[in-house]
Amino acid sequence: MQDPIQGRVDGGSPVSVHFVNNVLAAAASYIEEDPDTARDVLAELGAFLSHRLRASRVVSPAEELEHVRVYMRLEQARFPGRIEAELPAADDLPAARIAPGYVQAPMAAALERWLAQQPGRVRVALRARGDALDLQLDRPDEPGEPGERLRIPLGLATAGSV
Amino acid sequence: MSSGLAILAVDDEPRALADIKRLLETSASVERVATATSAKEALVYLSGGRYDALFLDVAMPEIEGMALARLLRRFADPPAVVFLTGHPDAAVEAFEVQALDFLVKPVTRERLESALNRVEQHVRGAEAAKAGPSGDGAEATVTGPDVVAVDNPKGGGKRLVRLETISFAQANGDYARIVCDDGRFLLRTPLSQLEKDWGASGFARVHRAYLVNLKHAVELRAQLNGTAVLIMRDDTEIPVARRNVAALRRRLHA
Repeated sequence: MQDPIQGRVDGGSPVSVHFVNNVLAAAASYIEEDPDTARDVLAELGAFLSHRLRASRVVSPAEELEHVRVYMRLEQARFPGRIEAELPAADDLPAARIAPGYVQAPMAAALERWLAQQPGRVRVALRARGDALDLQLDRPDEPGEPGERLRIPLGLATAGSV
Repeated sequence: MSSGLAILAVDDEPRALADIKRLLETSASVERVATATSAKEALVYLSGGRYDALFLDVAMPEIEGMALARLLRRFADPPAVVFLTGHPDAAVEAFEVQALDFLVKPVTRERLESALNRVEQHVRGAEAAKAGPSGDGAEATVTGPDVVAVDNPKGGGKRLVRLETISFAQANGDYARIVCDDGRFLLRTPLSQLEKDWGASGFARVHRAYLVNLKHAVELRAQLNGTAVLIMRDDTEIPVARRNVAALRRRLHA
């Protein structure tokens, strides 16, 4: 099924209603057994939405990277034990101006697809390579299975963003 | 219904599953809750025990919730299906597979109780049907969804139609043509199934080819040959079979 998408804001990437609703369901599940985690999930969701829903603007790759970190923690809250994440240091990123969600949106599309294909763990690695980011997904428990690679050019993002 | 409901909740997202399990377990109408993290695991549970309803996630790996719901319709006595989803747009497809309800995560307790209420009514209706048929089907108590998804001739998609706006349904082979306030639409469901699904919503089978919303009827006009004609509020005349006239008259005068 296609993910229903809403919330496209001023040329930025859309926010997935499916993602938001499932994060809220995960937060609800923690309320009684682990209230601190429930509160953290809600605070992170607030940060996620603030990054995306603020009025027309561009952000630095470092700001977008922090957004990606928040996103990964939210996905890990939804799927405990299923997602391994490796993200670059902010200092390794090139200077650029990009639309909010420019990196997170393609990551989310790929990760949701990998999680939906079959049960088990998924490893997500985002690495700085010159003027681009390389995204790689694979299954750590199935080393023979080919992974997926995606190049996210930050230089092009500067020219084509908001 | 002699005891509380037995529910099987199915979701590949463990936290969402934990949330709905806790909500179900603390509901007064639920006696037993089992959980499965995939459609395959759900089928294992279903093969080993009886459940009144499945609370089923739409998007899951390998076999999606919608596919499982379609599979369940082939069961002789399938459990009711209540969809759980983060995809609000999946509602149309859910109604197409005759889901009893459709809940968007996270679910409020009030909304959950409303869904459980539907399940209880559905179970009571099924028990009543097993105890003895009602004759003309007009007194069935099974509650279906209060909207139905129909083929939309404009654009080829689906359109949701509220049952209360439907005047009558007319048999058309394995299909039914429904006439409602917004026009005429084709529904890929035989009239006999609609009779079961809509009986509790005020619909009555008055003729082999007609299922009528009695709230839209304004007059029952007897014919000399023992049959009758039911006049609808838009002046449409629906034939009433001779064997249904007496029961229909009693029901209209009740």
